[in-house]
Amino acid sequence: MTSEAQAVTRTVAEVPLARRFGVIWWGALLASGALVLLLGYTLVSVTLIGVGVWGINIPFVWGFDLINYAWWIGIANGASLFAAILVLRRHDLRTAVNRFAEGVAFFAVICAGIFPIIHLGRPWLFYWVFPYPATFQVWPQFRSTLTWDFWAISTHAIVTSLLWYVGLIPDLATLRDRARNRTVKRLYGVFALGWRGSVRDWAYHQRAYRLVAILVLPLILIMQSTVAFEFAVTLVPDWHETRQPLHFVATGLAQGLSIVLLVAVLLRWGLRLGSYIDEGDIDLLGRLVLASALVSAYLYVDEIVAALLADGIAQEATFNRLTGDYAGLYWTAIVYSILIPQLLWLKAARRSTVACIFVGFSIGVGIWFDRFSIIVGGLQTDYLPSIWRTYSPTLAETGLFLGTIGLFAALLLLFVRFLPVVSMFETRHDEHEEKSS
Amino acid sequence: MAQLFTPAATTLFRVAIVLLGLGVVAAGAVAYVWARSGSTWNVGKPAPQPVPFRHDLHSGSLRIDCRYCHSTVERAADAGMPSAQTCMSCHSQVWVGASVLEPIRSSFLLGQPITWTSVHRLPDYAYFNHAAHVAKGVACETCHGRVDQMPKTVKTQTMSMGWCLDCHRDPTPNLRPREAVFSMGFEPHGKDLPEDVRVFYQEASRRLTSCSTCHR
Repeated sequence: MTSEAQAVTRTVAEVPLARRFGVIWWGALLASGALVLLLGYTLVSVTLIGVGVWGINIPFVWGFDLINYAWWIGIANGASLFAAILVLRRHDLRTAVNRFAEGVAFFAVICAGIFPIIHLGRPWLFYWVFPYPATFQVWPQFRSTLTWDFWAISTHAIVTSLLWYVGLIPDLATLRDRARNRTVKRLYGVFALGWRGSVRDWAYHQRAYRLVAILVLPLILIMQSTVAFEFAVTLVPDWHETRQPLHFVATGLAQGLSIVLLVAVLLRWGLRLGSYIDEGDIDLLGRLVLASALVSAYLYVDEIVAALLADGIAQEATFNRLTGDYAGLYWTAIVYSILIPQLLWLKAARRSTVACIFVGFSIGVGIWFDRFSIIVGGLQTDYLPSIWRTYSPTLAETGLFLGTIGLFAALLLLFVRFLPVVSMFETRHDEHEEKSS
Repeated sequence: MAQLFTPAATTLFRVAIVLLGLGVVAAGAVAYVWARSGSTWNVGKPAPQPVPFRHDLHSGSLRIDCRYCHSTVERAADAGMPSAQTCMSCHSQVWVGASVLEPIRSSFLLGQPITWTSVHRLPDYAYFNHAAHVAKGVACETCHGRVDQMPKTVKTQTMSMGWCLDCHRDPTPNLRPREAVFSMGFEPHGKDLPEDVRVFYQEASRRLTSCSTCHR
């Protein structure tokens, strides 16, 4: 490798190889570590005491568990779909954002995976949804949404981790070559799988990377539809609609993109990666977020129009969600995920770190309220006065949610610390192309 | 600078991957065998009892009928464990002063049940009914083994759900004529069942393997 090429990606490689990492990083890791402890506490309490510690009760059989599951899966889907498209299109933006978009997707899958297991009530028997020759000689019920969760989450975890890891291999080799400590060298070396940088290696790598990226495309549509179908197979009128998968895919994409934007801006600011994630990249991301927010807006309008055309009960259910006890959730979702992103029409907002953080965060919040509105607001009030109650989460549920955010942040912080957050080989590739042209 | 890895490293890595794969397969195989082995289900392990009761003596040598002690087996879900009164119906006359029978005598005097330890405990969510089985010709011996030869009472079957289903899918080989239900060492099994009973169970196995038959 020429010294010139080395210089190109020095800042990126220096980050994971640095001996010290600053007080802010430690502070952030401690804070998120505290949240992870909270996660551990809520997981243990729900395991020992049972799902009674949650605020769920008939008719609200699904509460924070499913809201947050759907929310994290949305982030995972949006981020990995975005990353896969960039790889396949060989778009310039991939050099800047692909690595951590893949990381965001993978960490979100880990967070999402916690909820289907813990909401089983007897989480230690979670392996019953695996198709294995059990002594009770009963195979998993394939019409059960729990079985779908198992296939969805495990497929998702495998494919997103592969996409992330395959992309990392050449950069792990770079870190191996540049590390000063021999043990660190060997560690990176093992994970680099004996990368030699030969033409053969590169050819295989490109093929593998694109292959996994292609796998992501159908996966995302199927996975997000799986989440939607889990709602659709129930008898709840508001969930029983064919537009539901589309709603989940599109709003999930908006959410994934907004989290990618949020992380991009934070990384750029925190790690001083201005020359790798440049203004043009952030600008482009901002436009994408805006476009996806417009698609979400279209779907919200579609929801209302579809409800107007629907029969009595489905119509009543939708309008109950818009005007009933949980109307606040719905309108909060509209404000945060549709109206606030309109800021990004302004070039100044797309170029402003604060505005990008604000919008990225607000779409995340908005879609969370949307999931809350769909899940809780969809459960229509029945005629029985004994179930005329409203749902509100207990501390154990809130702790679980905050805990997964902490876990996500902690994983992201460790990723930033030990691995290159921007794809070095793609950056070098781009630089070479620019020079030769 | 010295090389990080020796030339053999790649081969070693490949071997490690293969070994890891084989290890996963082997772990699966071990788990499969372990889950089905008798010791996992406490087959052959006696439980500590308040009195060293011997089935081989009472049921085997003395030929006392099962129903003398397990008196509700023909009419209730639970077969019933003997109370101190049942024991004292004989032991007020024989082995009167034996020290091993002290818990029986004190139970009798205090009017309290004897704390037998269950050997064949099923989970709460399995609604097993003794009366239904006995009435349809499932013998004691079919599930509990040769109790008349046991100095200490032990399980002879795993009592796993799969084991239940093995019979529920086709009970005919295990059914006996009514008069042989309480006898031990009865042969042959099922061969002399009437034709209409066989036809009935061909149809009934569907209902017998339905979830709500045993889990309600």
